Order: sequence, then C-alpha cells, then structure tokens
Amino acid sequence: MKPNLTRVTATLAVLATAGALTAACGSGSSDKSLTVWMYPVIADQAASRTYWQQIEKDFEAANSGLDLKIELQPWDNRDQKVATALSGGKGPDVVLLGPDQIPQYVQNGTLAPVDAAVADARSSFLPGALKALSVDGKLYAAPIYHTVTSTLYNKKLLDKAGIKKPPETWDEIRAAAPKLKAAGVATLDYSASPEASLNLNYYPLLWQAGGTVFSPDGKKAAFNSPAGVEALTFLVDLYKSGAIPKSALNNKNVLPDQALGKQQVAMGFTNVPAEVKTAGDAWGADNVVVGLPLRYRKQVGFGLPGGLGVNAKSKNKAKAEAFLRFMIAPERISGLTQASGFLSPRTDVKATGGDASTAKFTEALTYAYPGEPNAAARQVMSLLSAEIQAALTGKKQPKQALDDAAKQADDLLARQR
Amino acid sequence: MTLSTRSRPSAARRPRAGTAPTTGRRSRQARVGLLFVAPMLVLFTLFRLVPTAGAFLLSLTDYKLSGEWSFVGADNYTRLAHEDLFRESLLVTLTYVVVFVPMTVLLSLGTAMLLDRVVWGRGFFRGVFFLPYVTSIVLAAVIWKWIYDAEDGLLNGLLHLVHVGPFDFLGHSGSVLPSIAVTSAWKGFGYSMLILLAGLQSIPRSLDEAAMMDGANAWQRFRHITLPLLRPVLFFVLVIETIQAFQVFDAMYVMTGGGPVRSSYSLVYLLYDTGFKYFDFGYASAIGLTLFAVVLAVSLVQRRFVGRED
Repeated sequence: MKPNLTRVTATLAVLATAGALTAACGSGSSDKSLTVWMYPVIADQAASRTYWQQIEKDFEAANSGLDLKIELQPWDNRDQKVATALSGGKGPDVVLLGPDQIPQYVQNGTLAPVDAAVADARSSFLPGALKALSVDGKLYAAPIYHTVTSTLYNKKLLDKAGIKKPPETWDEIRAAAPKLKAAGVATLDYSASPEASLNLNYYPLLWQAGGTVFSPDGKKAAFNSPAGVEALTFLVDLYKSGAIPKSALNNKNVLPDQALGKQQVAMGFTNVPAEVKTAGDAWGADNVVVGLPLRYRKQVGFGLPGGLGVNAKSKNKAKAEAFLRFMIAPERISGLTQASGFLSPRTDVKATGGDASTAKFTEALTYAYPGEPNAAARQVMSLLSAEIQAALTGKKQPKQALDDAAKQADDLLARQR
Repeated sequence: MTLSTRSRPSAARRPRAGTAPTTGRRSRQARVGLLFVAPMLVLFTLFRLVPTAGAFLLSLTDYKLSGEWSFVGADNYTRLAHEDLFRESLLVTLTYVVVFVPMTVLLSLGTAMLLDRVVWGRGFFRGVFFLPYVTSIVLAAVIWKWIYDAEDGLLNGLLHLVHVGPFDFLGHSGSVLPSIAVTSAWKGFGYSMLILLAGLQSIPRSLDEAAMMDGANAWQRFRHITLPLLRPVLFFVLVIETIQAFQVFDAMYVMTGGGPVRSSYSLVYLLYDTGFKYFDFGYASAIGLTLFAVVLAVSLVQRRFVGRED
C-alpha cells in the first residue's frame, strides 16, 4: 500500500521496460491455455473459489484440450494491476471490467472489441448494459452481472422522529431533516472523500436534477449547469444544517464505517444489495427498509454492468470469445446472480432472492444509470471532489466551486484530445 | 553504524619506497573487499539505480498504457512548472515536513533522554515506545481517524468532558496536517528514539559528571555536551525523518483521501494518482524525479548546517 518514492518510480520504470520489451509479444498464455482475471464478485471467498472452479471444469469439458485458468484477484489496486499487466503485454486473455475503466483502455489500445461474442444474444441484454460497456459503438466487454444502488432507510430512526413514510424525494428529505435533527440524528448519509466515487455520491443527484457530467460529445464539462448547481446547493444546505453528518468529508462509501452504519443517520441513497445484510446485522433486520432511487426532476440511481473484456494482445482471441459466449449463457448468468447477489444484465434471467429487498432492488434496476463513459472520467472526479469539499466547507459558493472545477476539467479534456 | 568517515592520515595514503609487498596485500584486500560488497552493489544497481535512470528516461516521454511512446523532451517538466495542482501539493508537502520533522525529532529525543535516565524497566519502556513502529500505518491511520472523528471520536469525547469542542480535526484545512503529522509521529518516533538512545549511551558519563562538578546546570550540560556529541546521530535522524516526511502518502490516503479541499494532498499522492489512476506515466515520472531533486537539495542543506564536522 505504501508507494514510497523509490517503489513508485521503480514500478513506473518497470512498466516502461516491460511495455517496450513485450509490445509485440502478445499475452502471457500459451495457445493451449486461457487466463482469466476474476474479482470478488462473489464476496464469500470459499463460495467464490467453488463457483469459479466449477466454471473452469465445465468450460474445459466443453472445450477439450484447453486449460482455463481463472485467477481470483482482489479488488484492491485493481486498476494499477490491470494497467501494469496490459501495458506489459503479459496480462490475462480475459479480464473483468467496469464501464468506467473501459474508455481509458480503449484509448490506449489495450482492449479488443467483443461484439462477435454477444452477437447472438444481443437482444436479450438490457440496452443500458451494452451501451455502458461500449465505446464509439463497439462493445468492449460482455455483461455478466449488473449492480444497482437504491435508498436504504433505518426504520427505527425514522420512527423515533415520527416519520411514517420514508423520504423518497428531495423535498421530502428537506421536510424530514428538522424532525430527525430534533430526534438527535442526521438525515442523509454522504461520502465526500476524494477517494469516494462520485457515481455513488454527487452524480446521482446531478442526474436526478436533470444534469449531466459531460457535454454530449464528451469534450466539455457540463456539471456546472443550473441542474448541477441545484444538486450541490441541496447537499450544501443539508450539510450546513447538520442533516448530512460532518464525518461525510472523510467518508469513503463503506457502510459500517459511516454514520449510516453507526445509526447516526436515517437514510442512504446509493446503497447496494449486499449492504442490506450488513445493515440488518447492525440495526436488526426489521429496521432495514429498501426503497427506490431518489426522485427530483428524474428518478435515477447509479447501477452498472460488470463485463468480461478481451486483451487486445491475447494470442487466444477466438478461445477468449468462446469463454465470453459460455459466460453470458442464461444458465451461467443465473448461477452467478444466485452466487453473487448481484442482478442479471439479461432480461430473460431474473434475480432469485425472492425477498422484499431483492424485489425492490430488481425494481430499482429500471432506474439504473451507468454513468457517462469518458477517458478522463476519473481525473474529473478527483478535481470535482475537491471543489465539492470546498462548497461543503463554505470556502466557495456552489456555483463558484462547480465553475472552477469545470474550468479545470475543460483544460484536462482539451489536453487529452 | 558509522555516520561519518574520518580521513586517514595523509602519510598512510602516500606510497613509500620498499613497500611493494604491502601494496600487493592491500590490492588483494581491496579485491576481497570488492567481492564482499559486489552482491549488494549489483542489487543496488539493478533495483535502485537502473529504475531511477529508467524513471528519468520515462519522464522525457509520453508513455501510453499500450506500450506506445513518444519523446517529448522537457515537456513534462514544463507542464509541472505551470500546474497549480503540483504547486499546491508541493506546498502541502513542505508544510507537512515543517510540522512533522521537528515534532518527531523532539519526541524521539525527549523519550530517548528519558529512557537514558531510566535504570529500572528500560527494556520494557523501549519496547512499548517502539511498538507503534511495527504496527501497520494503515491500521494506525484507521484508529487515529476514529480518535479524531468529529461525531464520536475519542478525542472529542475527552474534550466534551471539559466542555470543549467538538472539533472536526480532519475536516479543517488548518488542523488536518498537524493531525496527520501526530499520527505519523506516533507511528514512527520509536525508530529514531532507538538510534538517539544508542547515541546518548555512547557519550561518556564522565563528561557530564565533570561539567556537573564545574557547576553546569542541566540545560548547559545538554546544550554544550550532549547536543554537540549527539550531532552526527541527530543529523542521521533528521535526514531520515525528512525523507520520510517528503514521501508521506499512506496516512493521508487512509485518513482524508487528500482532503479537505486538497489540504492534505501531498506530492506522492499526486504522483500516485497521476501514474496509477490516470496512467500518465511520463508526467508521473517527472513528478517523482522533481521530488527526488527537492529531497536531495533539502538533505544537502541539512548536511551543510547540521551535519558539518567542527
């Protein structure tokens, strides 16, 4: 974790050397083997191992003579490891990717399109899932699961404040805030740490207000629109009044560490299905209520597909595509949905939980928006996060903060063209 | 540990007539000595010098993830000079160094002097003070983040008992760097303390006792005997702590994510983001090399003023 100067410069230099030496060498797998990098989509380690070992056996049985190696990687430093591997030409043949990673890798020429692998099943996928994993009309990852976020309420705290109906809109949140304050708790959980993804914080509010992060051509920042200012003002007002807890400044979207997990705040608005159990363990299962994504001008929640991408330097592209076809088959999607608790990216495969919260999250999928793919998305998040903090702490007015961030973002986007 | 090299008497270096066997023996000894240091020399060259040279070359390129690259000359350095974020993170780093280094050195020196005087249980206390050093910085940062928490932190809990606060230690630009510096100092002072303790114990007691008999008070003995004799060790500690301070990253990453409003966004944090979040490897290398130059310059200044031999 500690990137001291020597280690960081050394890694950068190794990257350069590896890239230069192996640019034309192809991926590390031999012709008879296929390497896949998978991540803890199934949170339970033992269950994850069992599931992927079975996938290995089943795929090898269907493709005799091929050795499938599914390597289970941690989420930590995922980008760093994938970038290093792809850069060195020694990466896996297939890797699990999210929509926010894909534009940068496509720009760098390290991913191959996978349209052919999903051609037969294209109409069975949620259109939004395919769009999210595409760049310039080409699909770069085959969707195998879909995440979704929605509201999560602490019924005990709402009851304590005498609130019978959980707040579902911005106006209802504003109205609930004084009652909850009188009951000694905050209203809305928020993570303003620069390390927290804005997809789980400011962006859903921006989208609900009708705004976008980027202009339609992706070449300019658009978050400083009136909708953006409205969303940030909403946050700032709540923060100033204590309806968003002060600890929000350093929160990183980790439920148990946050005020929501510690029962100091009544609701979250970008919570994932797995957090229902975490919250239930802390608050008591009866106190956990799942709602639909918040509503303002629009009802939008963040949710994105996870897909399998193919290394552009893979020597086994045909076999990699065969693996993708194998993984997007309804029976595999159903199995992964069951094992992981995530939702299905296919309209012909339904989630299997059967309880009220699973049903609610499945309904929330209708409002899921995967964000706006842009090669500079992460840099823009970093510089915008700092300005959002400036607005929350009163150093700048919301409009000024967003304008300053937009100016920096425009410079960055111009440099990348 | 040898902190300074005394020059040999010049006569020893001059070849004299009739000393051929001695010269031959010396030459053999030199070869044997070289053989002993060769493995370290090879490793140092491979894993320190070559990567540093590689990073320098990388800093002159626009290097893409796919392995494609183009030579851009000093463009990355020119961009650095005009980048507000670089200036901001450099200022944050320098401020942190100014806060952290004196705090850690004084804490280390203070505890080392206390331990030097403790007769009973010195080993126990030395172990206790050293314990944080072997703790993971991530773990330490998580614990201190809770201690500083604005809502239910230990520190605010204690302050509440005396009707003070609450303070958002990590949420204000004025208090965030000192708060992180306290965490890092707590975590790291044990190492410097041990080195300073060894230095203190190597000072002959007779000097102190003689000064005491001459009527020197505690401060005078410290100022005119302990401090001058401790200076080589103190210089070493100062250099090590300064380098560590310039490389601060982990505590900031865990405790604040560089906030609020980049008040704790250090140069290494910028380097990390640039290289591993944005994959701008050439520019990241330029940041690394610039940081190296700054650390080197500061170390030379320290050597000039603290490390000189009278």
